[in-house]
Amino acid sequence: MAGHSDSSSSEKKSNEAMNDVPVFSAENMQNNMKVIYYSRTFMSIIGGVIAGILGFTGFMGFVFYFLVMTITSIGLIARAKFSVHSYVDSWNRIILDGFMGGLMSFVLFWTFAYDIVHIF
Amino acid sequence: MAEDLVLDTAIRDWVLIPLSVVMVLIGILRYFVAKLMRSFQVPDHKIVKEGQVIVRARNLRAAANFIPPKSFRPRRVYFSNEENGLLFVPKGQAQNAQAQMFSDPNMAMDMMKKNLSMIIPQTLTFAWVNFFFSGFVAAKIPFPLTQRFRSMLQNGIDLSTVDVSYVSSRSWYFLNLFGLRGLFSLILGEENAMDDTQRMMQMSGFGFDPSKSLASEKDGLDIVQHEWALPKFEHRAEAVLKKLVR
Repeated sequence: MAGHSDSSSSEKKSNEAMNDVPVFSAENMQNNMKVIYYSRTFMSIIGGVIAGILGFTGFMGFVFYFLVMTITSIGLIARAKFSVHSYVDSWNRIILDGFMGGLMSFVLFWTFAYDIVHIF
Repeated sequence: MAEDLVLDTAIRDWVLIPLSVVMVLIGILRYFVAKLMRSFQVPDHKIVKEGQVIVRARNLRAAANFIPPKSFRPRRVYFSNEENGLLFVPKGQAQNAQAQMFSDPNMAMDMMKKNLSMIIPQTLTFAWVNFFFSGFVAAKIPFPLTQRFRSMLQNGIDLSTVDVSYVSSRSWYFLNLFGLRGLFSLILGEENAMDDTQRMMQMSGFGFDPSKSLASEKDGLDIVQHEWALPKFEHRAEAVLKKLVR
């Protein structure tokens, strides 16, 4: 996943303080969210093309999409060295952000690849 | 009976791929045109001042817990004092700013330009698709849909027994419209994507009203409960420095 690690290479720590009250550097966190969004979009496009080529139809395709999203989430969490709270402010962000946006790109490229390979 | 129709390769070459390519190119073109047409707006002196006051008040509210209570209180009073506090705006002045904002010709022109640059390419492309690419099956969607979508997706195809998965090129256009947003954000960088729905929401909720935000900042500042979050920081600093020295 060379592209994956390239785009994540600029994740910065957004929570440096060791206070009792967590502090977030807004700019770093925005940067992290952008990286997460890009990673998800990229992976959903690639996943769409793979699903189309492999000939998934119907429900199987959506299951594949969830699989790809899960792999992306695991990759992102591993990239954050499992200390998620020092990079984003809640678990939900790193797991669920960009889910729906990626879905449309996934469906587009899935349809495209499926048609090119199987119907024509 | 879901038998696979075999479709002509020419459809793929001359419909699907050109349509996608054209949409990507139009998106890129629109991005550059918007960049070139962005007119520079001379900022109004009073509005900038008010904006900065709001930013200061917001910073105070956000970082309130990091300064001792004795320093926080005079700062808060400075902002929300009834007589000469910065955030206190008499009622008569409140309406003025809003009226000025909406009758400002430059702002209206900008909004119109942005709206037009969004709507015109979409309309043109849609008309082009309808004119040239109607009346035949263009693609097959890999997942099944119910019969209710038939009229929406199969507008040019008049056989009612064809599976709903076989769609016309109009639906391929819409699929591209939504799916290429992600691609645009990757190639054009930094969310300059074709967020038409987001932009429409921005347009409708635009009314930047400085007097109302002043009042809301004042309320927010009044609400803040100060909790001194760094009571033991001298001990912590000592521990950290000791570690460094060792």
